[in-house]
Amino acid sequence: MNPIARISLIVAYAILALAALGRSSYQISTKFADAPLAYSVSAVSAALYLLIAIALWKSATGLALVGSAIELAGVLTVGTLGYIESSWWPDETVWTGYGSAYGWVPLILPMLALWALLRGRH
Amino acid sequence: MTSVFTDAVYPGMLIACGVLFIAGLLSTLIISQHRLLTWIVSAFWVVTFVEAVVIVGAVVGGDIPVVITVGYLLAAIALLFLLGIARLGAPDANLPDPNRPILQPDQIARVDGVAAMLVAVAAAVVAWRVAEIIGSAA
Repeated sequence: MNPIARISLIVAYAILALAALGRSSYQISTKFADAPLAYSVSAVSAALYLLIAIALWKSATGLALVGSAIELAGVLTVGTLGYIESSWWPDETVWTGYGSAYGWVPLILPMLALWALLRGRH
Repeated sequence: MTSVFTDAVYPGMLIACGVLFIAGLLSTLIISQHRLLTWIVSAFWVVTFVEAVVIVGAVVGGDIPVVITVGYLLAAIALLFLLGIARLGAPDANLPDPNRPILQPDQIARVDGVAAMLVAVAAAVVAWRVAEIIGSAA
C-alpha cells in the first residue's frame, strides 16, 4: 500500500475516531436513555474508526479491509434506515444522513480506504 | 473571557486554520515548501495554546457547559499531535515498530501536507463548535 495513502488514511481515521469518541462519550454519559440505539451506534463507529486506524498502522491489511467494509455497510444501513424508519432514531448518530454532519466523510472515507487497500493487494 | 474568544480567538483560529491548510496544500504539491509548513505548524501550536488558555478561562469564569467544552478543548489539543506525523516514518526515527512505513523526504513532505490539511479542517470545526457553545451561553 502506498505509504502516503496509508498514513493519510490513519490521520483521517484518527480524527474521525476522536470526533466519534467525543460525541458518543458525551451522549452516553449524559443522555443514554433518550436514544440508546443511536448512541450505541455512535460508540460502535468510534470503536471501528480506532480499530481501522490501528490496523492500518500495524499493516494488518485484512483487518483494515474488514473494518472498512463493516464501516461502509454501517453508514449505508444507518443512513438508509434514518430515512425509512426515522422513529428508530430520536437523535442523530455519526452515520445519520450518510455522515452528513461530518461532511459525508464517514461515507467517502471507507470507499477510499477500500480502494487503497484493494489496490495495494493487487 | 467569552467575548475574547468569540471576538478575537475564534476569528484568529479560523485564519490560522486557513493558513495551515494552504501550507499543507503547498507542501503536498511543492516539496520544497515543507520547511514553510514546519514553521507554520510551530505557530499553530502557539495559536492553539492561546485558544486553550482562553477556553479554560471561559470555563472557569463563565456560565458555559463544562463537559462538552472541555471535550472540545481536549480534541483541539489531541489534533496537534497528528501534525508532522510523517516524523514516525523518517528513516532515522528511533521506533521499534517493524510495521512502520519508511518514508522518503518527498513522501514525508506530502504526508505532512495531507495531515496538515485534515487537521486544519478539524481544528476549524472544533473552534466553530466552541464558539457556538460560548455564543449560546453568553
